Amino acid sequence: MSAAIVPGDTTETLAARAVQVTKVYGQGQTEVRALDNVSVEFPSGRFTAIMGPSGSGKSTLMHCLAGLDRITSGQIFIGDVELSKLSEKQLTLLRRDKVGFVFQAFNLLPTLTAAENVELPLAIAGRKPDRAWVDRVIDAVGLRERLAHKPAELSGGQQQRVAAARALASKPAIVFADEPTGNLDSAAGAELLGFMRRSVDEYGQTIVMVTHDPNSAAFSDHVLFLADGRIVDEMANPTAEKVLDLMKKLGG
Amino acid sequence: MRKATLKGLMAHKLRLAATALAIVLGVSFVSGTYVLTDTITASFDSLFKQVTQGIDVAVRSEETFGGFETGEVRDPMPASLLERIQAVDGVRVAEGSVTGYAQLVGKDGKAVTTGGAPSLGVSFNQDTQFTAGSTVRSGRLPSGPTEMAIDAKTAEDTGYVVGDRAKVLFQGPARDYTVSGIIGFGEADNLGGARLVGFDLATAQEVMNREGRFDEIDVAAEGGVTPEQLRDRIRAAVDPRYEVLTGEELAEDSAAAINDTIGRFLGTALLAFAFVALLVGAFLIFNTFTIIVAQRTRELALLRCLGASRRQVMNSVLLESVIVALVASLVGLGLGVLIASGLKALLSTFLGADIPATGIQFQPRTVIVSLAVGLIVTVLAAVMPARKATRVPPVAALQPETAFAPTGFRKRRIVLGVLITTVGVALLLAGLFRSEGNRLVNVASGAVVVFLGVAVLSPLIARPLARVIGWPFARAFRLPGNLARENAMRNPRRTASTAAALMIGLALVSFVSIFAASIKASTTEILEESVTADYILFNDNFQPFSPEAAERLAEQPQLAAVAGMRFGPWKLDGVGKSLAGIDPVTYQQVVRTEVTDGSFDDLASGGLAVKDTVAESSGWTVGENVAMEFPRTGVEQVPVKAIYEDNSLNGDFLLGLTTYERAYADQADSQILVKAAPGVAPADSRAAIDQVMTDFPNVTVRDQAEFREEQARQIDQIINLFYSLLGLAILIALFGIVNTLGLSIFERIRELGLLRAVGATRRQLRSMIRWEAVIIAVLGAVLGLAVGVFFGWTIVRALASQGITEFTVPAGQLVSFVLAAAIAGILAAVLPGRRAAKIDVLRAITTE
Repeated sequence: MSAAIVPGDTTETLAARAVQVTKVYGQGQTEVRALDNVSVEFPSGRFTAIMGPSGSGKSTLMHCLAGLDRITSGQIFIGDVELSKLSEKQLTLLRRDKVGFVFQAFNLLPTLTAAENVELPLAIAGRKPDRAWVDRVIDAVGLRERLAHKPAELSGGQQQRVAAARALASKPAIVFADEPTGNLDSAAGAELLGFMRRSVDEYGQTIVMVTHDPNSAAFSDHVLFLADGRIVDEMANPTAEKVLDLMKKLGG
Repeated sequence: MRKATLKGLMAHKLRLAATALAIVLGVSFVSGTYVLTDTITASFDSLFKQVTQGIDVAVRSEETFGGFETGEVRDPMPASLLERIQAVDGVRVAEGSVTGYAQLVGKDGKAVTTGGAPSLGVSFNQDTQFTAGSTVRSGRLPSGPTEMAIDAKTAEDTGYVVGDRAKVLFQGPARDYTVSGIIGFGEADNLGGARLVGFDLATAQEVMNREGRFDEIDVAAEGGVTPEQLRDRIRAAVDPRYEVLTGEELAEDSAAAINDTIGRFLGTALLAFAFVALLVGAFLIFNTFTIIVAQRTRELALLRCLGASRRQVMNSVLLESVIVALVASLVGLGLGVLIASGLKALLSTFLGADIPATGIQFQPRTVIVSLAVGLIVTVLAAVMPARKATRVPPVAALQPETAFAPTGFRKRRIVLGVLITTVGVALLLAGLFRSEGNRLVNVASGAVVVFLGVAVLSPLIARPLARVIGWPFARAFRLPGNLARENAMRNPRRTASTAAALMIGLALVSFVSIFAASIKASTTEILEESVTADYILFNDNFQPFSPEAAERLAEQPQLAAVAGMRFGPWKLDGVGKSLAGIDPVTYQQVVRTEVTDGSFDDLASGGLAVKDTVAESSGWTVGENVAMEFPRTGVEQVPVKAIYEDNSLNGDFLLGLTTYERAYADQADSQILVKAAPGVAPADSRAAIDQVMTDFPNVTVRDQAEFREEQARQIDQIINLFYSLLGLAILIALFGIVNTLGLSIFERIRELGLLRAVGATRRQLRSMIRWEAVIIAVLGAVLGLAVGVFFGWTIVRALASQGITEFTVPAGQLVSFVLAAAIAGILAAVLPGRRAAKIDVLRAITTE
């Protein structure tokens, strides 16, 4: 059913995929089907947006893909590693080495400086950072001046850019972003999304972003629409208007 | 509002558990102390009532010397007094009795010792009314010069039964007796731990140097005469320097003597530890409520938005503390009873005192004081956080949480901290170096105020100190170590007040160890500097022994000098002093004394030698007479013959033996210093001494090295007792670390979730929590060490005149305390670490 992965052919490599994934919360009367037989593929070097109304299961899908939540049935792969076969510890190490995160808020440890936060996953792994790469990322997000500052001394936009830099610093196979611009004004949001877009175009980074904002989704290559735990539609090369139109149609 | 408080309380019950535990431990110590002392007091009251039940009136000499300095001294009464009392109208029978020193020798040839109580020789009365108080368990009362009775506890300990022959030691020559009977006192096997050897009156008078004299005269009334009437009649008939008491009064007086010791020393000591525990607990409580209030800022602000007044918010926090305090104090009260029973059993074995079984005494005072102490400490510690709660503005409910506690008031804190610390140091120094006022209270309150001052100042240094202490952890353990260090530094107030609780325990422990090390070093110094004797002979129970021992040692050719020392109380203008009686010729050969004026040799014809500082402050010079009041001869003019430099061994006064023999009734040595003859091998001189001393098994022989070791061992024993009691305070401080970390985890749940999301393992989280706990613990230990060294230094300096001349810092020991604190920190982190590792990552990062 899913396309075979051709070794060596990077354009066809999948960074992550979900195969008939079902996620059920609760039991019996209170049973909630957050994901209902979802199959989806995320090719490497692409920027995918996941959209849907509240309760559509978009966040659940992202959490399951990222190994933060366990699925009820089906399979999830990061690269060619199947997550359900991993122990809690192996999942943790996979997140550390293969996955980058940008959350909506509270992305940074308040006790660490911006620079330390950027290198956090590397420090956790006890790895030496690739200096040149980290410098490139830091320059790309425009944080050179603020490296010694603590998060409390940074604006919301700056904080999110630090988070984005952190997500990229360890060269993960895939970056998950959960409403990364949710707490930002539109200018700061656009700046962050511009950086994410560039990281896909220039460095071949794979990004999966959950959002409910058509303007944010317009930065992606591909949009998936979820409703009631199913993928109900998708769109390639989105624009804000096209996304909005489709949302109206789906919502109506 | 009250309902909201109660609901909040239930929601936070886990967080309050450690707080409650601190109160429980402190209060249980208070209630345990009261229950223990009350129970023991009641036991001895009933025991002495039992013993004196047949006595209507008792007559004895007025106490000429008393109190802790000199011990109770009563001059024996002449036999003629008995006749005068017998002639008083209403007296059915009157009998004299004597009490003195007699020590049984066990089957192993060693003197039977006690746990600190005296070894007594007594005479038994004849009249059955008088002897009703003691119970003959087997055999019969002794009669004639070859029989004795012993108490049941001693019989049990030694294995002697009726018919056995045993040696008894006196101040005079030792003798052999046959056990004629074994006696008890109602239910009790002995009298408060004392060892009793009883004889008939004539024998007792002879062996205890009381011929023709009595220590007590017991009187039984004729029918129809009350003890009170008889007491008044006898009082009218005898010289007023005799004390006339009813049997009941005598019982109360005898019990009071023991109860005073137990109540004053044991009770005060235990209450002091309870106080330390509560002080440490107060820090924990303060900390918990501060954190809880900080965490509930939004909740409290919401209440304020909904119209709750500041007073209501404050009352809500205070009510919470009152409920916690009440519940914890009640549990502590109950736990105290258990502690008391345990301690009572421990005390019985430790002192060898058979504490008669009386029901556990649970007096209203115990309940009131325990609950009051628990409540007051808790509420006082909660007042500041409660006031902080009132300052939460209603808009805080609508604003995002502030990540950092507000800092500021730096200047005020410095001024306040320095002021409090200065006051504390001043109180401490005043207590130590000035002679007026209640010095102990000054020292104790000074120490407490110093603790408070340092606690106020500590947040100022907590951040840099945590940075330094955390450095090796950040280096060695990379990210977890670095985060631990940052977390320890992020809220210096919280870190500091958590560490402050540990500081108190560590300060006291390190002070005690410094004090002990200084005493040991000073003892060594004195022995090396002043004592030229090779051997020191003494009695383990500080009982004086027969001068015959010294006389016979002096005959040994292997020994060059044998100097007996006799101690005695005297009064100068009504103030109790003590002196040592010596023979200057032998004494000078065993103790090196620098004489600054006059001559020691002149003491041979009697007279007094005085320490230079005392002579100076009293304005005495050689040749001058000092009016010395002795128990036996009254005031005597004694000439000053020599003035010597302090060597910490001579004490303030040395009396020539000829004067001593005239002035005191009992002639017995308390200590003998022996110097071997030149050229005699140590083994030979030791053999010569041991051979003589087989006849004096109550005297211990020690060479200098053994003596020093033994002193050190005794100090260590006491120190270990202190350590174990202070361990309680440290335990409470550890609860404080557990509590702070637990509350911090609750606060940092999103950070922990983030760390886990980006790949930190559970082990790394546990390690982060662990090193934070260790940094806090070491911080507390370092502060405590600094304060402890300061306390040790001031107190050792203050006691320089008492013979503690060396200030020694046992560095190895202090370092081991810090290491122990670090290990304790690791233990304290186990639970919080487990909790941090278990957090649900998804919930932690998704909860708003």
